[in-house]
Amino acid sequence: MIGTIVRRLLSMLPVMGVVAVCVFLLLHLAPGDPAAIIAGENVSPENIARIRAQLGLDQPVWRQFLVWVGSLLTGDLGQSMFWGDSVTSLIGQRAEPTISLAFTTVMVAVFLAIGLGVLAAACAGTLVDRLVMGFAVMGFSVPVFVVGYLLIFVFAINLKWLPVQGYTPISEGVAPWLRNLVLPSIALGMAYVALIARITRTTMLDVLAEDYMRTAKAKGVAMRPMLFRHALKNAAVPIATVVGNGVALLIGGVVITETVFNIPGVGRLVVDAIARRDYPIIQGVIMVFSGVYVLVNLLVDLSYTFLDPRIRD
Amino acid sequence: MKTTRRTIMTTGLAAAATVAGPGILRAQTRPPAARTIRAVPHGDIPTYDPIWTTANMSAYHGAMVYDTLFGIDANLAPQPQMVSGFGVSEDKLTWTFELRDGLRWSDGSAVTSADAVPSIRRWAVRSGSGQLLLPRIRDVSAKDDKTFIIALKEPFPLLLDMLASSTTPLCFIMRKREAETDPMQKIDQVVGSGPFILNAGETKAGNQYVYDKNPNYVPRGEPPSGIAGGKVVKVDRVIFQNMPDSQTAVAALQAGEIDFYEIPPIDLLDQLQGDPNITVENLFELGAEGYIGLNWLHPPFDNQKLRQALLYIVKQEDMLRPTFVDPKWYRTCGSWFACGSPIENDANTAWFKGGQDLAKARALMKEGGYDGRPVVMLQATNIPYMMNAATVMAQQMRSAGFNVQLAPMDWANVVQRRSSKAPPDQGGWNIFFTSSGGLAMSNPYMIGGMATIGDKGWFGWPTDERNEQLRDQWLKAETLEQRKVVAAQIQDNAWNIVPHMYYGQWVQPTAHRKNVTGWLHVPEVIPFWNVVKT
Repeated sequence: MIGTIVRRLLSMLPVMGVVAVCVFLLLHLAPGDPAAIIAGENVSPENIARIRAQLGLDQPVWRQFLVWVGSLLTGDLGQSMFWGDSVTSLIGQRAEPTISLAFTTVMVAVFLAIGLGVLAAACAGTLVDRLVMGFAVMGFSVPVFVVGYLLIFVFAINLKWLPVQGYTPISEGVAPWLRNLVLPSIALGMAYVALIARITRTTMLDVLAEDYMRTAKAKGVAMRPMLFRHALKNAAVPIATVVGNGVALLIGGVVITETVFNIPGVGRLVVDAIARRDYPIIQGVIMVFSGVYVLVNLLVDLSYTFLDPRIRD
Repeated sequence: MKTTRRTIMTTGLAAAATVAGPGILRAQTRPPAARTIRAVPHGDIPTYDPIWTTANMSAYHGAMVYDTLFGIDANLAPQPQMVSGFGVSEDKLTWTFELRDGLRWSDGSAVTSADAVPSIRRWAVRSGSGQLLLPRIRDVSAKDDKTFIIALKEPFPLLLDMLASSTTPLCFIMRKREAETDPMQKIDQVVGSGPFILNAGETKAGNQYVYDKNPNYVPRGEPPSGIAGGKVVKVDRVIFQNMPDSQTAVAALQAGEIDFYEIPPIDLLDQLQGDPNITVENLFELGAEGYIGLNWLHPPFDNQKLRQALLYIVKQEDMLRPTFVDPKWYRTCGSWFACGSPIENDANTAWFKGGQDLAKARALMKEGGYDGRPVVMLQATNIPYMMNAATVMAQQMRSAGFNVQLAPMDWANVVQRRSSKAPPDQGGWNIFFTSSGGLAMSNPYMIGGMATIGDKGWFGWPTDERNEQLRDQWLKAETLEQRKVVAAQIQDNAWNIVPHMYYGQWVQPTAHRKNVTGWLHVPEVIPFWNVVKT
């Protein structure tokens, strides 16, 4: 097992290398000039050129790449061109809101989606099944920002139950922390619920059609243990795969959700950085997001051995 | 050690207290919401050095933590601020200034002439107006701790106006240590003598900037007016929140989560005006002016006749209405200088008074020998007023017979591409759009676009000797009446050579909660002193 984990971790290196090259090239070949944005509007072209030189942007792209990769290999993600703060510290400052949002979203989405998927499978072909699947299609089709604005309008402005925006650190209390995360988690979780509920239903239907399930039913096993103790366990591997793959969806959604709900997380950090071409931040955040994605998928792969003893053997 | 339920609970509670402790302590030291203003300005602060950049958000930060020697009042006249007294010699070459009593840096040390002198020098290198002043300065020196002298090579009547102006970069006074930083490098510490102190502990760059009332600040005794007068802080804390999504900011204002929103979208103003808890208020009557940059280096606008043709094509009303909708937020303007400014005039504006005249434009195009070559127009699609203006102007030009190619891109791309002097079909451009504050457009020296110095000038690189001679005359004019005469001459010449054009003028109303009052009307900067929250 340890050998497998080490091999998988080592296989991350070329993946991260490809990500690094792609991110750097895409950013630097795309138009846009951070120096001109930092300088402000009424500035002479000479001053902009001086700032460009100070930032090292007048160097050939290959040299800029080597400098960046050199820093990356020592664990240094660089410094923000605007504030001068290290990218690592900026990501560190913004990590808690993003991790909180992702955590609450995954928790809500996984429990809700698995429940809905099992329900739809158990009631396959009935109105309940259609309603659940209709909800899934809607969740997948409506963009996060539309759901977000609707939730703000109803629950924050009209009913005044929850705040419109912002984030309260968990250190200031669990209740205020949760209050700020309810609406964003629902908005972000909609697509995730839809994705997992659909795969849960499909997998459950396959498992429910197996001979051993029919045998269990014939032996008089009650519906609830049959669904949750026998069927769901056997349907777990594909569901875990989708939960893992859905992290990419979650990362994309986090970027939008944090903007709509003004959550000062890593997603907002990268959106703001893109608008002003703060290259080190964009590169650093994408590298971190990519690393998280690869690691989550590694954990999902490892989880198979726990979910299905046949794979372990 | 035996693990019991009690030890688990005790350990858990201890861990929770350890995690929550710092946050709870921080929360306890925060001023109450009633003494805190949460404001959403128009953007993020790109750098804490308001001299190094002309970005308005850095000037907002500067106005909080730094003070200026002079400030303009509500009538745009310079008034002493850090200065208690000043005088000029009979030959008008030596200005003497005395700092007022009680000025202290936020670290507790006294503000002296040794701080003011390098601050003026550093500002003069970075500022557009300072660069006009710099060659006329013989020396800036400290006479004693409270007195300093600016010695000039020739009389310069606009000296106080420049020191007082709120156009970026403002002449903020910094500690000697920061002021002696190379003007091309950013300062590394924020220590000011202004009405607020940056609370670095609670500030999170890119998210929120926290300013606490400066207990050492001694305001002037006069009532506040513009950026001049007594800067009396009536709250404990001001927080600038960076909230890029305008819909969220409007909702937060309506829900009372923020107190002030600088740039509510025009199409949401009705929603805000209908809210009994919100006031929509215009804080600066001169507003902003839309600027159309023309590239003089390449055809077709290297040709004066073709630039003149544009005067008869552009219909400002059609370019502004899609964005600003209600005429109370915008106005058309034929003056070379901001309409509503003291030097607005109507010299050589027959083209404007006559309205759009495509027949005349076509005649000028024919006279200028327009050969149908493409006109590359840069269109910033992430800034609605620029995007709409470009869309409409492209169509107006097509109606006259220009072959216009819109080049849609984001603003970051526009600011890069407009610096290119390459031909338009090789990565260059013919037309770009931007805007400038009404105050900066109220004189011929504050923005680079007013200069016609060719290669060394601002984007578009127009060249015209007469304009430069007239600008020089302006700088030497001693009275407003004399300046008005020169302004009319500058305008008469400008609308012949057409260095650039305008697409009208507008105001951006702000929105704030009704219980937050005392907002001062200042161009280019939003002051947070004098503001009361009840």
